[in-house]
Amino acid sequence: MKISTIVIRLSGIILVLALLIYFPGRKWARAHVNEKTATTDHPLLCTSCHLYIQKTGLIANLVNARYMSPINLTVSGDGKRLYVVAQESNALLIVDSESKKVINKIGVGNQPHSVILSKDGQKAYVSNQWSDNVFVIDLSAGRVTDTLKTGNGPAGLALSADGKALYVVNSFSSDVTVIDLQSKEEINRITAGNNPTGAKLSPDGKFLFVTSRRTVNVPYGEPLSSELTVINDSSRRISEYRKIESAYMMENVAFTPNGDLGFVTLIRPKNYVPSIQVEQGWMMTHGFGVFQPGKGGSVNELLIDEPNSFYSDPFGIAITPDGKKAFISSAGTDYITVIDIDSVRALINGSTPEVRKLYSNNLGISSRYIIKRIHTGSNPKGIALSPDGKLLYVAEMLDDNIGVISTESLQKVSSIDLGGPRRITVARKGRRLFNNSSHTFQNQYCCYTCHPDMHEDGLVYNMSGKDMGRNVTNTMSLRDISETAPFKWSGTNLTVYKQDGMRFSTFLTRTESFSYKDLDALTSYILTGIKNPPNLQYNPNGELTEAQLRGKKIFERTKDSYGNEIPEANRCITCHTPPYYTNSKMSYVQTLAATDDSILFDTPHLNDIYASAPYLHDGRAATLEEIWTKYGKNDKHGVINDMTKIQLNDLIEYLKSLRSPQYEYEDLKKNHAKN
Amino acid sequence: MNKRFLKNSLLSAVALILTGFSFLNGQPSVKSDAIDVTDKMPVYGHWRNFTMKDGLPSDHVYCVRIDGDRVLAGTHDGLAVYENGKWKAYTTKDGLPHNGVVSIDVSETTGDVWLGTLGGLSRWSGGKFENFTQLNSGMPNDLVYCVICDGKDVWVATAGGAGHYDTSTRQWEIFTEKNAPMHEPWTYGVSAGDGKIFIAAWGGGVIEYTKKTKQFKDYTDPDGEMEIDLLPDDGIVHDITTATTWGAGYLWASTYFGLSSYDGTHWKGYFKEHCGLASNFINFVRAEGPVVFICSDNGLSSTNGKSWITYKKNDNDSNGKAIISNFSRDDDKTAYKTTREIPMSPSIAHNFVIGVDADKDVLWVATEKGVSRGELMK
Amino acid sequence: MNRFRATIVFYLIMATGSLFIISCRRNSTEGTIIITRTSGKVLNLSFSSADSRKIILRSDIVEVEMGKPEASPKLLTSSFYSARSPEISNDGLFMIFAGQKKEGDTWQIWDTDLGNLKTRQLTKLKEDCTDPAYLPLGRFLFTSHSASDSLKSNESIFTSNIDGTDQKRITYNPAIYRTSHVLSDGRILTIGVQKFPETGDQKFMIMRPDGTKSELFYKGSEGTVLNGPGFETNNGRIIFIESEKSKPGKGNLITVSYNRPMHSQLNLTSEIEGDFRAVFPQPSGKLLVSYRKTETDRYALYEFDTESKSLGKPIFKSNDFDVLEVVDAVKHIRPRKLPSEVNAVIKTGLIMCQDVNITNEITKIPLVLNKKILKVEIMGTDSSMGTFKPSADGSFYLKVVANKPFQIRTLDEEGKVIRKCDWIWLRPNERRGCVGCHEDQDIVPDNRIPLAVKKASVGIPVHVNKIKDKMIDTE
Repeated sequence: MKISTIVIRLSGIILVLALLIYFPGRKWARAHVNEKTATTDHPLLCTSCHLYIQKTGLIANLVNARYMSPINLTVSGDGKRLYVVAQESNALLIVDSESKKVINKIGVGNQPHSVILSKDGQKAYVSNQWSDNVFVIDLSAGRVTDTLKTGNGPAGLALSADGKALYVVNSFSSDVTVIDLQSKEEINRITAGNNPTGAKLSPDGKFLFVTSRRTVNVPYGEPLSSELTVINDSSRRISEYRKIESAYMMENVAFTPNGDLGFVTLIRPKNYVPSIQVEQGWMMTHGFGVFQPGKGGSVNELLIDEPNSFYSDPFGIAITPDGKKAFISSAGTDYITVIDIDSVRALINGSTPEVRKLYSNNLGISSRYIIKRIHTGSNPKGIALSPDGKLLYVAEMLDDNIGVISTESLQKVSSIDLGGPRRITVARKGRRLFNNSSHTFQNQYCCYTCHPDMHEDGLVYNMSGKDMGRNVTNTMSLRDISETAPFKWSGTNLTVYKQDGMRFSTFLTRTESFSYKDLDALTSYILTGIKNPPNLQYNPNGELTEAQLRGKKIFERTKDSYGNEIPEANRCITCHTPPYYTNSKMSYVQTLAATDDSILFDTPHLNDIYASAPYLHDGRAATLEEIWTKYGKNDKHGVINDMTKIQLNDLIEYLKSLRSPQYEYEDLKKNHAKN
Repeated sequence: MNKRFLKNSLLSAVALILTGFSFLNGQPSVKSDAIDVTDKMPVYGHWRNFTMKDGLPSDHVYCVRIDGDRVLAGTHDGLAVYENGKWKAYTTKDGLPHNGVVSIDVSETTGDVWLGTLGGLSRWSGGKFENFTQLNSGMPNDLVYCVICDGKDVWVATAGGAGHYDTSTRQWEIFTEKNAPMHEPWTYGVSAGDGKIFIAAWGGGVIEYTKKTKQFKDYTDPDGEMEIDLLPDDGIVHDITTATTWGAGYLWASTYFGLSSYDGTHWKGYFKEHCGLASNFINFVRAEGPVVFICSDNGLSSTNGKSWITYKKNDNDSNGKAIISNFSRDDDKTAYKTTREIPMSPSIAHNFVIGVDADKDVLWVATEKGVSRGELMK
Repeated sequence: MNRFRATIVFYLIMATGSLFIISCRRNSTEGTIIITRTSGKVLNLSFSSADSRKIILRSDIVEVEMGKPEASPKLLTSSFYSARSPEISNDGLFMIFAGQKKEGDTWQIWDTDLGNLKTRQLTKLKEDCTDPAYLPLGRFLFTSHSASDSLKSNESIFTSNIDGTDQKRITYNPAIYRTSHVLSDGRILTIGVQKFPETGDQKFMIMRPDGTKSELFYKGSEGTVLNGPGFETNNGRIIFIESEKSKPGKGNLITVSYNRPMHSQLNLTSEIEGDFRAVFPQPSGKLLVSYRKTETDRYALYEFDTESKSLGKPIFKSNDFDVLEVVDAVKHIRPRKLPSEVNAVIKTGLIMCQDVNITNEITKIPLVLNKKILKVEIMGTDSSMGTFKPSADGSFYLKVVANKPFQIRTLDEEGKVIRKCDWIWLRPNERRGCVGCHEDQDIVPDNRIPLAVKKASVGIPVHVNKIKDKMIDTE
């Protein structure tokens, strides 16, 4: 037989075989992808699921990488060194500002947040947000010399005016730990605003100002406000909680050198306004608060947005030593906004309180005080000025860089590479998408805005599904949700691919939907890159307290206090099945409101539930207790009315102890090794 | 559960009416800079009385607490704060959970003011009221008769049990007849001292809770008699306790039938019939070091266990007197004598005394007809 | 030998395939400029005229090259009697335009493959179709007569698939629209002129490609007219030509900030004598402009430096032609494809106003609060569609029949009109909001639940029986 004949026949056979495999194979693949993504249009890419959303194992290790993710930084007194908190690498990076090189990397605790220097510049204090401690680092020796125990979730740091005490802002337990630096003991614990973070001593050294990110917990519809906690530095006691109205997410605070004005970054959300459009700031506006530090001093709010352009997620704030300019980093839009402080002062001084209140809802007024917008690398977070005020250093969190900006030319002049991995993994790309507002119309908000720290913002939104004013929705956490499908309270989205698909863009971002590549990246990040904090406050090592153990029994009980069998469907554990404490099914617990469409609700997952107030789908329960004391009277959400208050407290203590299975596993391993 | 709360609440309310202004208060600790601790009893005079005319929201004052340069008074219609010579009132409009403020304490570490009201507990700090109720928190009951600060713990005595809130961990632990040796969950007072918490439990005497061991011990009237104390000094004088206080190594417990003290080994009973006590119907008691102030329905008394001073207002005018007497039951169980009577013009505002607080050279007294301020007489 | 033959066959197949692939690539026109030119006498067209859609001048579209001002341009619309309004696709390969095949024909929309000049007809309507623009991902828009309207004078914007299918009308107010262009944010920037009951001012309107969220983008000061489309520059501004009615021969280059168009106007040519007729921004930041110094001159094509605010040398100049329009035949960023909430099954849209008392004046200092508003009337083109009291906080919430123009009027206690807005419309299933009765886009809503949305929406037009008394108490 001729070779050509063989080739032709062979080709024919291969073709027939290929066709036989291709069409049914493709059909199978389509059905498989449809099932896995709960969509009908996702491309047939094996990588979407088989590579990008693997959390453990060889593939996950190969596909993912650990970045630096700088979040905050400070500059040495002589300006020669930068101390950069690399949050993802659990390290403090020491950078030579002249050579622009990282000269030392000191390992710190889990998920470090902030760094400050001692008065003599010899020590650095680093707050480890997920370790509940502060590391004291001897900078000349380059090592950790002490560990100071704090409250839950230490974030912002400040020294007392005399340098003898360290204030640690406990962002999870919402208080401030005062540590005597000589005895290294906590000498006071001061209650702060909800989810506090930034802290700064006023220039006169009299008061410490602490920002808070979440609002004061009020019933849906009541005016929102967040608190600026003011602590008297000499008495180490509360001076006042200053109300910042209609605002939240106050990340950081700064003062003019003469102390006449303080500035805080903030967001003014529109969660009560039906979410029917994005245009003209109908969802989120971003800005800053200006306050007179003295007791009872005025508080005003101004926006950094413009009618057709928004500068989402303001984070860092710094003021030049001459008090002329303020810089605000917008983490969601990769910009530094430069503010002329004299113009702000003139605007405030030249207007009545009534008019100033209108200014806070005015997108045009920013043209009066904004001098410049400076583009930065991805996700600018903490910012710090050189001692002479000539350079502004910007922690470009998702670029692993420190951007350097001239405060005179107001241009980016250089960049310092912190040495993170060069390649951008799919999950990293997803994290950038998560944190960037470019996928929302006019950059008004990003995933992070309503899900700060990938959690939730504590607000209830007027999502107005079919009708305005209906279906109000409590924001849900995105931490550790990979095993908790379906998503949304209505449970309509079986996968993240669907959740963040076309409907998401139609009703939420209102701009072009994510490309499939972006959707894969975002899904990869959400499913693999977002973890729950370790719940050190209520369950530090897996050993439950007596009350929690009693509560666990109640959670798992099958009979009520009178010995009657509890119907299976009405037992806690039936719907809230470990390890995520959800059975991933829809339920009816008689919480449907008159303003809700008639639906069942997805059983929410409960790990770290202590950090997710308010509760229930519409946030009607301000605390875990209220779920039952106010809204569980009919015994439809578990049998509860046979219980004493002690038993209810025990149950709630147990619920507060729930944490991600990852930590259970880690503690099991530790205990095993010990034994 | 809710029915039980309701029942307790109703019971509490009834008791409230029956006992007039018998809300009790407690004080845990001894102030280091408190009054003279020698045998010499401090005498207060130069009384100045404050009523609604002076800016109080109500003349019915349940409790009073000195907080540095200011004085806090809990009234039937809100919290009153005396500062720079003026009273300022705070009510539910300002964020109070209930206008009936029956107990006040101030945290020595944080400076936070804790308020026990008839509608919940409140932390008043930095101008803000943070309210805890039986619905929104682990608190046992909204009728908070007594609140005290003990380090980072805040203890409450309520109509539904006693409990403490750890301000650091934000956890509640509550005690009722279900998990503590109480007769029933109704508690009136709570105080702290010597590593212990002393709960005044209605019908249950004094419940002692050792913080370190988390163990309870109860002290009840051994004779069990409701009207009389059959055997002197055999134990606490009555099971219906209204307040406890601890100072200078002594636990003091007040009842509607007399006063008791306990040195850790022995109980002693004090009755108006045998000493300078103004009345056996005691609403509240507070120790300041070795001196204890006793608020009764017929005047204010103070004692160090030997000497007694009782302040009484005349029935017909605003004047009154301080009756000073010495008495030692160890020497003679029947003899006590008035050594001196000091006329007071004016006197305390009213003889129905419900609360008291002393600091250095001033004494503040909460009465049914206003609040009184007395100065230490040299 | 067989192996040799097989090799030859293989290479032949590969070569043929390559040729096929190469032939599929289109020639790029990168670096060329496309203009509309006319040899006729140029009039000062007014968009406020109802006849303006009729293209009076015969024109054609040609391609010119930079640096060859005298070179004879390449005619791109040789088979057309007249053509204009060219726009280049974002890949730089196609040109969409309005063309008249033969004299007397209706104007229709066409597109041309710039590589081979093959032309296809995109619209085949009985009425003139003009002012085309590309929409992202296979759709385009154009202006045509809205045949179904009772107000015969108005024209609407339509969108369509590039193959002419799925044509949709998106504007429903009695107005004409001109020179639309799609901004990178995905919205249509167009010049709208209200035509009923009387002709209004020209305004740049902006809307989503489904006709939702239509709103004012820019309005010049009193007595000014807009002379052409607005284009985005590379520094976040919109550039266009505006002139004063009193000086029709003096078109100026005006830029406004995209971020805040109403309050950022900048005249780049106030110091330059002569008339600017067309403008198009280049990626370099410089502008292509059509300009003539005096009325006796022809409009020629120049480069304009925005920094120095000066004209360069002419790019194209002819004694026989005026340059009417200009576009740069380069690739550009594809505008965002905005999702649509329009659902044709639903026959109504929802509109919520947070507080009717908020007016333009409230943005000014000193603060003026209008307390007199007692009622709100929804006015149709023929008759009132209903009157109702706003809620105590000034809010109202309406469910309005979709695709019908209406005006919102606020009335005082005597029923006198205090304020009224331009004609607006809602698309099926559209939900939109307004902060108050104002044109200024600076105000954002206060974060509170409007009382009106705590109740059911008011249906507009109200039921026939209820129209008689025209009152709906929403309290």
